[in-house]
This record gives sequence, C-alpha cells and structure tokens, in this order.
Amino acid sequence: MFDRKGQIRIIESFLAIAVVFSAVLVSMTFPSSPDLSKQNSLASMGAQALMKLDTDGTLGNLIIQQNWTSIKTALDILLPIGVSFNLTVYDELGQQVNPEVIQNSNLLGREAVSVQHLCATRSQTVQFFVVRLQLAWTG
Amino acid sequence: MRQRRNSGQIVLIAAFIIASLLLSAQLYILEVGRTLSETEPDSVNDFILSVQLGSRNVVTSSLGNVSNGGASGTLELNLEEWASLVEDQYLYGKSILDYTLRDAAPYSSGIWLGWGANGYGVSSSYSNFTHKLTGLEAEVDQSFVINITTTLLIASTNQKLGGDSRQVNVTISIQNEAEPALAEQITIYYRVSSSWLIPDEANGYILRDYGNGTYLGSFVADVPAESVEISTHILDYRDIYAQANVTSTEI
Repeated sequence: MFDRKGQIRIIESFLAIAVVFSAVLVSMTFPSSPDLSKQNSLASMGAQALMKLDTDGTLGNLIIQQNWTSIKTALDILLPIGVSFNLTVYDELGQQVNPEVIQNSNLLGREAVSVQHLCATRSQTVQFFVVRLQLAWTG
Repeated sequence: MRQRRNSGQIVLIAAFIIASLLLSAQLYILEVGRTLSETEPDSVNDFILSVQLGSRNVVTSSLGNVSNGGASGTLELNLEEWASLVEDQYLYGKSILDYTLRDAAPYSSGIWLGWGANGYGVSSSYSNFTHKLTGLEAEVDQSFVINITTTLLIASTNQKLGGDSRQVNVTISIQNEAEPALAEQITIYYRVSSSWLIPDEANGYILRDYGNGTYLGSFVADVPAESVEISTHILDYRDIYAQANVTSTEI
C-alpha cells in the first residue's frame, strides 16, 4: 500500500515535469517576432536607395525609357550585398508598368519589407509613377 | 492520508500555472513585437522626403516645359495632379499637400522668365508647399519652399581684324540655384543688319568648356559696326531654357 502511494507521487512529479516541459516546447514553436531594427533599417535603406536614384530624375527617366536592366543595375549598386529585392512600377491608375521582373533573386520564403516611393519624372511632360520595392536579407 | 493526496495535486496545479505563465509571457512578447513592427516610424519620414523630392521634380519639369514654350498654367496643372497622387497613395492616414504659386513680381503663377538685353537671363519657378499628415503613426505639418532657378550671364568683346572682320569672344556663365552648372546645349547668335546668324566652322567657331559652368565662345564675323549684338540661348541639364542678349564692345 505504502509502495503504491510512492509510485503515485513519482508519477505526479513526472506529470508536472511533463506539463512544464511541453509548455516550453510549445512556446519554442511560436514564430519569433521580427527583428525590428533589422527590418526598419532594411526598409530605410530601400527608401534611401530609391530617393538617391530619383534625386536628379534618373529613376523617372529610366522608367520612361523602359530601361529595366539599368534600374536593376543601379539598385544592385545602391543596396548592400546580401539584400534581395523585387521592384514593381505602377502608373497613376495602379496598372503595372514593367512587363518584366526587376529583381536580383527570389524573395519567396523570406521575411520581406515593402517600401513605396512616389516618382515624378523630370521631363517636359511630367509623368507620375508609384514604385514599390520589396527587400529581404538573403542570409 | 488526505493531506498527502492534496500535496501531489498541488505540484500538478503549480506545474500548470507555470506552464500557462510561460505560454502567456511568450504570446505577450510576440504580440508586442507585432504591434511595433506595424508602426514603422521610419516610413513616415521616408514618405515626407519622397513627397518633397517629387515636388521638386514636378516644379523643375514644369519650368522646363514653360521655358521651352509650354503653357503658363502647366505648373499649376502638374502640381494639382501630384497633390492628388500624394493624397491617394498614403496608406496609414490622411495626407494633404497644399501649394501656393508665387504671384508677386517678377513672378506670375509661380514662373519668372526674364530674358533681358543686359547680358542677364533667368528662368525661375517659386512655390510654397504645406504637407499635412494625420494618422495613427504621426501628426506632421511641414512647410517647405521650392525655388528652381537657372541663371545665364553673358559678356562679350570684339576686336577688329581688318576690313569688316572682327574676332568676337563671348563669355557664358550658367548657374542653377546660384551654383555653377553645366549646359546641355549652347547656341550663340550675332546680328548683322536685321538678321541673326549662328557662327559655324566657316567662322572658326570654337566653344571652350572650363568645366565650372563657364564657357567661352570665339568666332570671326564680318560686321561693319563697332558694336555687335549677341544673343545666347542655353538649355541646362534639367532641360530648362534661358536666353540673354548683350552688345559686344570693341576693345
């Protein structure tokens, strides 16, 4: 009789340990919260790159010329190594302007941030575009 | 006997409490992280800067259009369209871009084209902007001025070579917002009786670029009078047109 009581206590203790341990395991499976400083700096870098490219009207001119390769090359230079990007250009009505993909690598499965830039061209007939840049760290 | 049974249950209950505390703490940390990531205060600053840059591009392009012969209302039409886009594209609240075109002399509807005969030519645009942002992230009321000015300064001297032939030198200085700037195109004209002529290779025309916004045009022209009327037309790298006239004096 005394032995059985001892066994029950041991079982109860194991149950308690199992409950706490499973709680720890479950909490580990929660998706970790995004690294905010890293994500914010990535978004800021993207916005700065687009503004740098637009300062002297280069971005608008390249869009008018439909020179998507040069836009990709410029972003490759302006953004640091280890950043993947995907750029989409829309007109004022929200129609996509670039028929081909402007990206350096695929963003699928990565934690990406999105930056939106309003672009007014420096041409005698002004045109307006909405440029959306998605970025993610490759590492 | 009863006491022993309870102590075992207390261990289990305590384990459940610890487990629930662990899980709720983890959930709280995750939720706080999500809330902060939605705020993104940097995006507001970037949006404001992007609007200022775009406004500058609109004013520059409009001045380029008007100085090249476009309608004087181009600036207002373009800014109206731009302000509408700025209002539509802000996703975190309300964005209102107001603008006032300078109408005090010498500006009219935000534009001043002063192409005089004293060797000074100016193409300028001046507008005041107010950008108001209201939303959950921030309340911003930002005022800024955009003044785009292309200035052209010319001076000319000429030297008699023999007969009616004269060596004419034209010094051209170009500035963008009071800083030296380069020209995309420069055309010099000289007047003989009632005709304006463009010097070419036959006149030994040479244009020297000093790389600091200063150019020197030299040519030989057959002009019977001591003074030669000179007109210079330029297009700067922003496609803004300006012209200036001057009378070349004999040295």
